[in-house]
Amino acid sequence: MISLLWSITIVSLLATLIISVYGIVAKPNLVKKLIALTIFGDTANVLVVLLGYRVIYPVKPPILPELSKRALGEFVKTAVDPLPQALVITAVVIGMAVNILIAFAVIQIYRIYGTLDVREVGKTLPELLRREEA
Amino acid sequence: MKRLTGLLTILIITLGVAIYLAQNIIPPENLHPLGEYYLENSYFGEHSAKSPEVVTSILWDYRGVDTLFETAVFFLAIIGSLTIFRLNREQSEEAKQGEPKPQLPEPVVVVTKLTVAMILAVSASIALHGQLTPGGGFQGGSALAVAPLLVIAAYTKYALEKNGLDKTRAIIIRSIGLLGIALTALTPLLVSGYIMQNQPIFPGEALGVPLGGSLVLYNLFEYLAVGAGFTAVFLLLSIPEEKFKKFLGVRR
Repeated sequence: MISLLWSITIVSLLATLIISVYGIVAKPNLVKKLIALTIFGDTANVLVVLLGYRVIYPVKPPILPELSKRALGEFVKTAVDPLPQALVITAVVIGMAVNILIAFAVIQIYRIYGTLDVREVGKTLPELLRREEA
Repeated sequence: MKRLTGLLTILIITLGVAIYLAQNIIPPENLHPLGEYYLENSYFGEHSAKSPEVVTSILWDYRGVDTLFETAVFFLAIIGSLTIFRLNREQSEEAKQGEPKPQLPEPVVVVTKLTVAMILAVSASIALHGQLTPGGGFQGGSALAVAPLLVIAAYTKYALEKNGLDKTRAIIIRSIGLLGIALTALTPLLVSGYIMQNQPIFPGEALGVPLGGSLVLYNLFEYLAVGAGFTAVFLLLSIPEEKFKKFLGVRR
């Protein structure tokens, strides 16, 4: 039963990854592309955290409960792997900053071209350049 | 109907693959040896960071250089956002002209005042206790950035600027944070250590509270850098659209 739940978790995360890649590629709207990209990033982060998880009971966070050497053995037996969490903490905040950068670019594109559709933007840009030449 | 069929197909395929995989997959019950090493060494071991919070000691000590470059990526992303929305001096003066008038009903505004004070306290606690409890500079900074966002939503951004927190100040605070991180990383070189060395150069505890050596300094500076960086970006983002269209000379 536990292995079924575990495999459902992993497979549904992988399905979310695939759907979000589809969203990035297939949706013409830039905002929808950005939303799909954030879903992709968050799913990847959850997968990395899952790498360090232990399917045991009880499972504890990787923080020493008391500052004595006696508790250390029990602590190592129950704590989850801290390394994936440490890597994900930075990835989350950096991901937020990079998403803000992309959102700024999308807003500026909307202000200049008046549209968010990548096909329209692709048509408008050559027109604008030609008008400069004439 | 068509959409529902697609969703059902995805659901059935996912469940099928999951049930098939469940026969072969074994949920992990043991630690990786590296994770075990970190858990054992974080406070007591020979290569100790003097912090009971293992995640923070990995973040700023064992994998410190990694985090240093992550901070560089953060720096570049914020700089990129500021560059895309760049304004010259007259334009940024004009962007500051406006009435700091609450746009929402009175109860919302009063509750926002209380909530902002609480968010400031909670975020400082998250960041400064990062070496003892879950949390740290990144998390505390992200929580801190919510406070100006709430003020912008309830009072408009002019209220923030009239009270002295404009874009320039936010960028200055962010630069102080980043400079502090760089200086703390370089300090061990003065006493012939290596870059980002923690123990035994920085004090392990003060007044009976474990400080984790340099971890508390890194957390404090990262807190300032992340919080103020996001604040600067939010201030730019809340400039009204008509003003920006005027600056850009767009007719639409």
